[in-house]
Amino acid sequence: MREHVKGVILVALLGLFALAGVLISGVQVAYVHEIGIVLSLIAVALGYRIYLHGIRSLWYGNVTAQLFATIAIFISVVAGLVLPSASATGTADAVGYLTASAIVAFIILAGMTLEDYIIHRTRGALEKLINMSPTAARIRRDGAEVEVPVDDIKLGEIVLVKPGDKIPVDGTVISGYSTVNQATITGESIPVEKTVGDRTFAGTLNEHGALEIKVEKIVDDTTLAHIIRLVEEAQEKKAPIQNVADRFTTYFLPIMAVLASSVFAFSYFALGFEVALARTVTVLLVACPCALSIAVPVAVAGTIGNASMNSIIIKGGTHIEKLKDVKVVAFDKTGTLTVGEPKVVEIKTVGNYSEADTIKYAAIAEKFSEHPLSKAIIAKAAEMSMKIPDPTDFKTIPGRGVDANYGNQHILIGRKMMETEISEEVNQLMSMVESEGKTAIPVALDKSVIGVIVVADTVRENSLEAIQRLKRLGIKTVMITGDNMRTAKYIAEQIGIDEYHAELLPEQKVAVIIELKKGNVVAMVGDGVNDAPALANSDVGFAMGAAGSDVAVETADVALLGDDLTKVEYAISLSRKAFNRMKGNIVYAFIWNIVALSLAAFGILNPVLAVVLAEAGCISVVINSALLLRSKPKPLAKIMG
Amino acid sequence: MNIEKVILSTSKTDSTGCSACAYFKADNLQHALARLKGVSKVKVDKITGNVIIEYGKQKINLSKITERIEKLGYQVEILSRDEIQ
Repeated sequence: MREHVKGVILVALLGLFALAGVLISGVQVAYVHEIGIVLSLIAVALGYRIYLHGIRSLWYGNVTAQLFATIAIFISVVAGLVLPSASATGTADAVGYLTASAIVAFIILAGMTLEDYIIHRTRGALEKLINMSPTAARIRRDGAEVEVPVDDIKLGEIVLVKPGDKIPVDGTVISGYSTVNQATITGESIPVEKTVGDRTFAGTLNEHGALEIKVEKIVDDTTLAHIIRLVEEAQEKKAPIQNVADRFTTYFLPIMAVLASSVFAFSYFALGFEVALARTVTVLLVACPCALSIAVPVAVAGTIGNASMNSIIIKGGTHIEKLKDVKVVAFDKTGTLTVGEPKVVEIKTVGNYSEADTIKYAAIAEKFSEHPLSKAIIAKAAEMSMKIPDPTDFKTIPGRGVDANYGNQHILIGRKMMETEISEEVNQLMSMVESEGKTAIPVALDKSVIGVIVVADTVRENSLEAIQRLKRLGIKTVMITGDNMRTAKYIAEQIGIDEYHAELLPEQKVAVIIELKKGNVVAMVGDGVNDAPALANSDVGFAMGAAGSDVAVETADVALLGDDLTKVEYAISLSRKAFNRMKGNIVYAFIWNIVALSLAAFGILNPVLAVVLAEAGCISVVINSALLLRSKPKPLAKIMG
Repeated sequence: MNIEKVILSTSKTDSTGCSACAYFKADNLQHALARLKGVSKVKVDKITGNVIIEYGKQKINLSKITERIEKLGYQVEILSRDEIQ
């Protein structure tokens, strides 16, 4: 920031002297011309950054607008100082040339400063991420609580986080209960509950309970630090379209050299030295190679910064260009379109028993089981705020079910435990549930079935919206899963996916991707670890829920830090917009240069107008690219309409 | 304190050298390096791409710094290396 303040002061000073130089000619004082000359010369001198840049870049073999400007200003200053003695019009001309140079220097320096500032602002997203990282932490050391800089925290130490504080490290909660807002990392707006055993991320906000966290990753290693580094790297990776812009800029110097000297030569013979000089200067000033070369990098940085604010890490300009062409998006099912954990979705009762009875007896029998289905039942009981007593004794038979006693009551769970006791009614109920790809768990009390618990993996809340959004963009959606046909069909119908392939082994998933890729650009969305081969074989691999997994973030082309599948559509729409803007900017800058150079060559512009045009061209391109940072996801209603 | 001052030259093949581009590059490099733990001073020259960097030797080593620059897509060369404290 200090640098920008310095820049602005320099611009203001230059402007003041230039203005004074112009105004003084209207005042009746002694030595008015001399004062005018001195003021203008000071103003021109204050533009030293331009000349330094121009001359040094020439020395290092680059051609820049600053170089042209330096030459142009030098020519006008020399002309201003030398010409009057040879001219009959006297010293008024001297001041004219010099004040023009001063104004030109002012506009260029102001333009440079403004561009620097706008480009710096494209770092905004990164700065936001960086500011998320707390700098100090309270830790327990030798029995006492001390506040230390985060740099000094060691692995395995215990960090104390008060309500309202930011969590300074990645670690595991060892005591306390709270809710944590993880929006900075995963983009989830709803706070997540954290209690003993849960993992925390540095930079997330602890809400209302105190937590003690055991440090597992320190400063440079945290997920947040990792994300920051990836974004920094991604912003530097150029997009292929940059090559088009680079090709133009390579020819810029030779073309300019030929153009400037021919303009001088023609005008000199036709219109005399002074006109030739003015036109040559104008041509040099109006050229704006910068607009061509800066358009793409700023757009890439703006796009990647924007994505990172939406918890999407796009790993470079190449992927932006691939994303814009995506025609098919393939999704893994379990853990991607679905939550990936079985949940009790329905309780069907038999006879006079209630839903609560069914869950209660099932939960008693399953209380000490670690099976995922048992966990779903226990979770349901907790959700219904039941207090579950211990079973008197229980026996888990793997692959079959549970046989338990509670006092003098006998509980049986699982279809295979009760072949002989299932009535026709219950049987029908169960086959209906199973035809939907769900699991039916019958519960029997003293040998008669009291209810059937239906357990299923649930579709993520926003899967349906995610698919709808993609369809709106004209993108085909495909589900590929290792799960059985029935479940696949049921889920596919629920979310309206176009096509599904089930019962696939990992290598068969790859084969499906390769098949889809014939003639299409294919994106694959998966969890990043199990789906690694399919992700690697797609054109753009999206890893989902990547915040917890460094491997997933590292290997994917696009990492979705949270679980929000609608971000797939956002990444694609943003890339389409970004690419159009890059292309538009290159065309615009190209045409701008041609038009401005022609106007200058034919003497329609004067030097001051020329600089204004050149700077306006460059700044509009930079702003247009930088604005990509501000683009926001559209609400579904809008894209549907 | 072992503070080392190193001058590095960095380059990218696609340098077209306009002032905004140079600023863009220097700004990124400057911030990325300044954030490294142990680095006390960084100055990136906009035009040459040379980096003057000072860091505590106990906290970070030079290869970590050059690795970071390479990861950002630049080629690095060490021009000079002095212990200043």
